[in-house]
Amino acid sequence: MAIARVGSSEKVYSPNKRSKRNAYLLLAPGLLWLLLFFVFPLLNLAETSTKTPSPTFETGEFVQSFRFANFIDAFLANQAQFYRSFTYALAATIIALAIAYPLAYSIAFRSGAWKNFLLILVIAPFFTSFLLRTLAWKQILGAEGPVVFILKFLGILPDGATITATAFSVILGLTYNFLPFMTLPIYASLDRLDYRLIEASGDLYANGATTFRKVTLPLSMPGVVAGTLLTFIPASGDYINAQLLGSPDNFMIGNVINSRFFRVVDYPTAAALSFTLMTTILILVIIYIRRSGTDELV
Amino acid sequence: MSEPKKVQGDLILSNITKSFGDFVAVDDLSLRIEQGSFFALLGPSGCGKTTTLRMMAGLEEPTSGKICIGDTDITDTKPYDRPVNTVFQNYALFPHLTIHENVAFGLRRRGVKEIDPAVEKVLNLVELAHLKNRKPSQLSGGQQQRIALARAIVNKPALLLLDEPLGALDLKLRRQMQIELKWIQTEVGITFVHVTHDQEEAMTMADTVAVMNNGKIEQMGSPADLYENPKTVFVANFLGQSNFIDGTLESSDGASVVANIQGTRITFPKARNNASGKDLKVGIRPEKFRLHSAGDSVNGNVLTGGIITDISFFGVSTQYLVEMAWKQELMVFEQNDGGAPDLEKGDAVTLSWEPQFTFALDANSN
Amino acid sequence: MSNDFREMPKDPKTRSLINAQISRRGLLAAAGGVGAVALLASCGSDSEIAAGSFPEDEGGTVRWANWTAYMDQKRVDGERTYPSLNKFIEQTGIDVDYLVKYNDNDEFYAQVQEKLKAGDDIGYDIVTPTDWMAARWIRLGYARELDSANIPNKGNILDTLSDISFDPGRNYSMTWQSGFAGFGWNKDLVDEDILSLDQLFSEKYKGRVMVLSEMRDTIGIILQYQGVDISKQFSEDQFMNAIDFLKQKISDGYIRQVKGNDYLEDMANGDALAVIGWSGDMFSENLGGQNYGFAIPESGGTLWSDNMLIASTSSNKSNSEKLINHYYDPAIAAEVAAWVNYICPVKGAQEEMEKIDPTLAESPFIFPDAETLSKVQVFRGLSAEEEFNYSDAFQEAIGA
Repeated sequence: MAIARVGSSEKVYSPNKRSKRNAYLLLAPGLLWLLLFFVFPLLNLAETSTKTPSPTFETGEFVQSFRFANFIDAFLANQAQFYRSFTYALAATIIALAIAYPLAYSIAFRSGAWKNFLLILVIAPFFTSFLLRTLAWKQILGAEGPVVFILKFLGILPDGATITATAFSVILGLTYNFLPFMTLPIYASLDRLDYRLIEASGDLYANGATTFRKVTLPLSMPGVVAGTLLTFIPASGDYINAQLLGSPDNFMIGNVINSRFFRVVDYPTAAALSFTLMTTILILVIIYIRRSGTDELV
Repeated sequence: MSEPKKVQGDLILSNITKSFGDFVAVDDLSLRIEQGSFFALLGPSGCGKTTTLRMMAGLEEPTSGKICIGDTDITDTKPYDRPVNTVFQNYALFPHLTIHENVAFGLRRRGVKEIDPAVEKVLNLVELAHLKNRKPSQLSGGQQQRIALARAIVNKPALLLLDEPLGALDLKLRRQMQIELKWIQTEVGITFVHVTHDQEEAMTMADTVAVMNNGKIEQMGSPADLYENPKTVFVANFLGQSNFIDGTLESSDGASVVANIQGTRITFPKARNNASGKDLKVGIRPEKFRLHSAGDSVNGNVLTGGIITDISFFGVSTQYLVEMAWKQELMVFEQNDGGAPDLEKGDAVTLSWEPQFTFALDANSN
Repeated sequence: MSNDFREMPKDPKTRSLINAQISRRGLLAAAGGVGAVALLASCGSDSEIAAGSFPEDEGGTVRWANWTAYMDQKRVDGERTYPSLNKFIEQTGIDVDYLVKYNDNDEFYAQVQEKLKAGDDIGYDIVTPTDWMAARWIRLGYARELDSANIPNKGNILDTLSDISFDPGRNYSMTWQSGFAGFGWNKDLVDEDILSLDQLFSEKYKGRVMVLSEMRDTIGIILQYQGVDISKQFSEDQFMNAIDFLKQKISDGYIRQVKGNDYLEDMANGDALAVIGWSGDMFSENLGGQNYGFAIPESGGTLWSDNMLIASTSSNKSNSEKLINHYYDPAIAAEVAAWVNYICPVKGAQEEMEKIDPTLAESPFIFPDAETLSKVQVFRGLSAEEEFNYSDAFQEAIGA
């Protein structure tokens, strides 16, 4: 009976009501989680963002007055930090991509027996705290540290110049810290790539470079898209790197949100900034995914 | 974007050896494949046939030896510079490209101007022009197989390599594709080199079959030749089934040979004696035997004193196991065409066969 | 100051960084301060303060939330013990749960704020906020008035600390330890004593100077340099002048970074040659073998304190007061000071210190003389509106 049904009807592939209900049941914990930990806080954030300080200016006391100008004020006052967040994050993403792709490629195709060892090396930084790793860079790049000493000795760095407390060191820190997030998805998509497709491309008159451009790269795009998002999104919201490796001239929007929230106790501004940041990232991500999804990749 | 040189002629492999570390995959193999022929490399897995094919494609480098097409040495030519295309085992269609773009891939790389008409034509040949805007994942296995073929032949290579191209298809589709492949090969006139472990597939399609074992070619010839006159036990067993009876050569005069097998004297054509010494392994294929009730008078080579120990009904034929006086069980296929007597387990029988269906190998051959 | 049990940096900002790092692992934090969302959810309710209605005194164990490495310690069989605290327990039979819970004034406040508001037990009887945060607690009615009868040693508090703007007469708070903010420098790289802001912001240190992210310390020193008495009422204009001065020094590239306690790392690796920093740090680093100098600015430094307060939700008031009293016993205070090396707020402790360690008794960092104290001021308490606006202006000035 079952055999008879398979060939005869298209209905075989459409889920019946019961399996649909089961699907929703299976989704329920996830949806609940999203609701509890994303939607509710988000609504709270939205609600907070239009409040104003209470008449007494009491610490942490705010009243709802639907002041949407909070968004404009917050944005105008911190344009430089917004701009910096996105340019630093973009720079870090591009540099990380330039480093991670060849790295992931070598691990996926050229590492042989070393593959697992190299993958562990990629993940190894996660075994120590993000903060400690960044502090380590601060030591390495410090004004009296080894790197500056060597560069000054070689005459590459002029006297009095430093590496830390510059945009360079912040971007370097961001790149370093998020490199694994770039490397791993690219590695995963390359590792999944059927090597026969690369052979097929060669067989069809494509040389190494053309094969990379027409086959390897397009097929690893899901990894590239995932990697760039996993780097860009947290990097644009990061404040630790700017805090530790930058100067006040390198502070990003994350630093502002952090200080509004913890130091000034100005929750509405912190909320408005967070909301603006989130929305901006969301829009950028949607544009990016749309573009990388519909573009003719070959 | 390199335009491969116009290369034509027979494919010649000279003393090709390929080792992976200590393992010799292909051992001093020499081979000539006639231009325009359908050639099959047949053998069990691990016999070196795929490695041989990959060396033809340029995907592996021979450890030593030479590969030529006509007068052109292509041993060191990169795959993308060879006038060779491959239909890969699992098709290796580019999942991110449409069918049209998959087929056009090689043409674009070579900078061919008129791409669309060429693609259209080859898609018509494989009867899938209507699917040209689909992605490979939207096609069935058989359709993908045909696209893989179209993608290769559209380039009009001097040599088309097929690596177990039908392995992933079900039996019915495989039969159909065997016929289509043969037809297409005739149509386009390209040299096809087909690697398979399926003897039926090889015999159905190929003009010439080379049976490979342990990195060497055991025997090469037309399918019928290989089947009827195998030169080694391996070939005899790899292509169909065989009964082997130990015997000794008694005399050899003119066109025929007399041999003694387990006390019975038989004759067969001299051309069928592939043994160099006196001790023989005499081979008779199961379907060549005729079964008779004991005591019937029969012509040709005859073996008496058999007892039926097992009967299996196959539809087209029936298989009998007959135990001989020297305790060897022989296998017999009888067509179910009413020609054979009604026999049951335990019946005493006589076996006969036409002398020209005998083949003899050295006793120590294997 | 011994570094034995210095688990967390003293600076609130560093602490918050470390703790933010933990919450970074949370779901949304990576998207930039969005992690604050979850915290926001716990703030901002408009319920009125349950002022005036305090819990009945039920006695029992006193629970004390304090900062790291802020109590005399001793390892006994590998276990950390607090000798001065054990004396209190032996003498009174009152049990004490000493909890190292303070990493950051703001963070600690954020954790207990809701409960304070609702009048639910926050889990601590004694808390130890810094002056300005203590001011907030008192202003909001989150601190209980101290009963002098239970604190006979109250009069032992140093005169400079006895009458401060946020708690005139010390009715709600008693100082735990104090410290100075002034100039610190690395003697290996700086060959002079830095005594003024002009010296600090001179060409030779340009780009290698760091100032504290504690507003009251950095701005307090600038204000005094500009001739403003920070212990008395000053105008918003005066404050903003100091902010402008700071902004200018940042944008001109004199100030490399604005930092919390982690400026010590910058001094160690040479990024910072000179700083506006804290006395205790320079002192402790001296003990640690570092060659640092410290001076109170000629124009005036700041004096800050951490204060013991009894939370409004405490049901263990009298025992808590007895504990506060215990630490105003000069001998006990000297015992603590000998370990933590901060300014001891108790009169007579210096004499007691003679018995423990005569060298420490001479230290102006633990027992500042009148001349030293004349050079420092306590930053006045700010109104809620001032605190909001000034801290906003300060954060903006330092780029965040």
